This record gives sequence, C-alpha cells and structure tokens, in this order.
Amino acid sequence: MVEGFAHVVAVEGGVAWLEPEQTSSCGSCASSSACGAKGIGTTASRLEARRFKLDNYAGLVVGERVVVGIRENALVKASLTAYAIPLAAMLGAGAMAQWAAGSDGITMAAMVAGLVLGLGIARLSAGRLSSRGDLAPRFLRRANVGVVCKIN
Amino acid sequence: MKEYVLLMVSAALVNNVILARFLGLCSFMGVTTRIDTAVGMGMATTFVITVSSMADWAVETYLLQPFGLGYLRTVTFILVIAAAVQFTEMTVKKVSPALFQMLGIYLPLITTNCAVLGVALLLVEGKMSFISSTLFAFASSIGYTLVMVIFAGLRERLALADVPRLFAGPPIGFIVASLLALAFMGFSGMSTN
Repeated sequence: MVEGFAHVVAVEGGVAWLEPEQTSSCGSCASSSACGAKGIGTTASRLEARRFKLDNYAGLVVGERVVVGIRENALVKASLTAYAIPLAAMLGAGAMAQWAAGSDGITMAAMVAGLVLGLGIARLSAGRLSSRGDLAPRFLRRANVGVVCKIN
Repeated sequence: MKEYVLLMVSAALVNNVILARFLGLCSFMGVTTRIDTAVGMGMATTFVITVSSMADWAVETYLLQPFGLGYLRTVTFILVIAAAVQFTEMTVKKVSPALFQMLGIYLPLITTNCAVLGVALLLVEGKMSFISSTLFAFASSIGYTLVMVIFAGLRERLALADVPRLFAGPPIGFIVASLLALAFMGFSGMSTN
C-alpha cells in the first residue's frame, strides 16, 4: 500500500472531502522548507483541484490529518492507462502514415488523430478501472501530530 | 526501418538522457525512492517529451526557421513545453478525474525538468524529419524511464542494506548512480557516434 497524508476539509453527510498534503513527488510533505519544488505544487487552487472524497465510516471531522493509501500497483496501472495507451495509438498511427504516405504533414495529422483515438480508449479503460475501485484512495488511520514523511 | 531502430537504441541507451547527457537529474534523485513513483513519473515524462517534441518540431519548421526567429528558440520551446504540460494535465483530468488524483502531482514537476527542453533542443541540432524526431524523443524518454526504474529498484534494495552511517541516504545513492552510469558507458561500444 502506498501511503500519503491528507487533511479533512469538509464533511457532507456520510462523505468526507480531503485535500492531499503532499505537494511534490519527492515525498517531503510537511518538510516544505526543504523542498525545492514547493513553488509549483502548493498553490491553493492546485490542491483544491486534487480534492477527493471518501466514505466517512471513521467519523472524521474537519481539520483532521489522516493517512490514506492506494494499492501498490494502482499507480503503475493508472500511468499505463493515462499515458501508454494514447502514446501507443499515436505512434502506431504515425508509423502507418509514414509507411503509406511518407510525408511529414500527413504523418503529423495521423499522429494527432491517433492521439485523440488513444485518449478515447484510455477514457474507456480508466472508467473500467474506476468502476472496479482500483483507483480509489482508502482511509487507513489518523495521523499522529508531527509525523512527516521521511526524505531518503 | 533499420535507421529508425538504430536511432532509437542510440537515444535510449548509448546517449541516455540521464546517464550520458546528465539531464533530468533532479527527478532522478528526487522521485526514485519507490519503483511505482518512478514508473509514474517516467510515463508522464515520456508522454510530455513526445508530445512537446512534436509541437516543437512544428514550431521550429513552420515558424522559427521561415521567419528567421532562431534567437527565440529557447523561450518558445519553454512556452510550448509549459503548454504541453497544461494540455496533458487538462486531458488527464477530462479523461479520468480518478487518474488525475493519482498522477496530477507529477505534471507540474515536468515543466521544470530540463530533459524535456534538452531533448527538444537536440532535435533542432540533429535537423531530423518529423517521424525521426518523434521517435528520437520517444526513445530518449524511454531511456529516461528505464534508468529511473532501474535506479528506484536499486534504491529500494539499498534501503534494506547495511550501509555505513556516513553513506546512508543520498551519498550511497550518488555512488550507485555513478556505477550505473559506468555500466551504461558499455553501450557506447555499440556506436561510434
């Protein structure tokens, strides 16, 4: 299980809305003074855009800091779905157009069309993953005050 | 066909973006503590490098060269890369909000990844055709992802190893990176370029 910290920002009935605390991929979360990437990932709007909801079985209240997790292979599955499928479709279309026509303009148009087609396939595939619950974060436990991720 | 295969092998292994050209070292050290985060970052970077290189090739061929605006190349490419990252972010969000929740953290980091700009500038230097430049960019980013994943695997094993206290953490990481670079130098025997 891949773990991360999040803050509860709203509770609506049986659903809790959380904002992820981690602001960069280096895992420095609360050690923001040591993070060179903090300027590009910490704006309020960016965190708000990444807000997510959980079923509030644990009785979470606004302001609580919790540990949430996703399955080990979920990140790999998600990145393959979002990026590998459109890339494969795009390169496949480009290779066929180059083989058939051999012109830069036609190849470029075919690659753009392949990219759009690939994004459509990725959308269907992501919908299937979401409906199986493979991409949803889960509540694991409440975080102790002062606990931060280790930088190593 | 053979020239495309050689071009891709050269870009991915012989002239590896990280270990031969020393680009993208920030993410190489920062995001390689786990294999799955390395894969996530690698795939996102692969997508952005490939898409932005296509756009950079079009801008260079149809705008900068015909109008003699070569001195604006770096600034223009940075703008194109930022736009490509923004496009990717919007697309992933539209395609699947759940994917965006998981992968969104990597995208802003790519804007400042020098490997993306470095590959785009290498394409101009190489004066390649559209398909060659796209394959070069794709192979370069596959090489980047490959090294990220290998290094993440080594660091996961290092975390369990009995390392002397002074070397624990980043110092042993740098030593392992240098050994990995030495190993990749072996591929330079495959090509005279």
